[in-house]
Amino acid sequence: MTDVDTVKPRRRLSPRQRRYRFALGFAAVVGGIVGGWMVADQPKGGDYGPEVIFNGPLSASFAIGAALLWVLGLAISIAIYHRAIDDHEERAWLWAGLAGWYAFIIPAPVWWVLHRADLAPPADAMLLFVLSMVVNGIVWLWLKYR
Amino acid sequence: MNNKLKVLRAMRNWSQAELADRLDVSRQAVNAIETGKYDPSLPLAFKLARLFEMPIEEIFDDGQEGSKND
Repeated sequence: MTDVDTVKPRRRLSPRQRRYRFALGFAAVVGGIVGGWMVADQPKGGDYGPEVIFNGPLSASFAIGAALLWVLGLAISIAIYHRAIDDHEERAWLWAGLAGWYAFIIPAPVWWVLHRADLAPPADAMLLFVLSMVVNGIVWLWLKYR
Repeated sequence: MNNKLKVLRAMRNWSQAELADRLDVSRQAVNAIETGKYDPSLPLAFKLARLFEMPIEEIFDDGQEGSKND
């Protein structure tokens, strides 16, 4: 018996699976373009660390382009994604979204009032955004792959 | 909720991936249902019932049998 005999025929993807992969691939391409463009937009020999990603200055052309790509790219990929996921993943997505939301609405006012009393630095919107995304991602991965 | 999905699948000699293909869901969805970590939606439960040609209540058991007030 050759290796060819033991290879299972590759399963054809259903339309739902094709839409699902397209949505994820499209989002990855948009993310890659934004990330690559951000790096290319930095001055030669500049710093590519967290400061650039979170708070460093950006050119107006990149900022407008990235904002448009984020809004349009995300809207398109999310619309396709939600039409392509099965109910197990939809449930994971809904709980992950809720957890991400709580990860924003619980710390944000706490940080805000503490800052107003001079007990904390000004609230950092990007840090809250990242926290919300990390919680969202962890819960989604746990519910989908546990 | 308990279910007989793993047994029914094994009787047909299907892998989780094959069953997932027949239901057009992910393999993770089949695994989550089989291990009781996820209860399928009503449309997916009907799809399973049609695929295995048996009523939903023969596939799924909510543990309430015999507790009816009749």
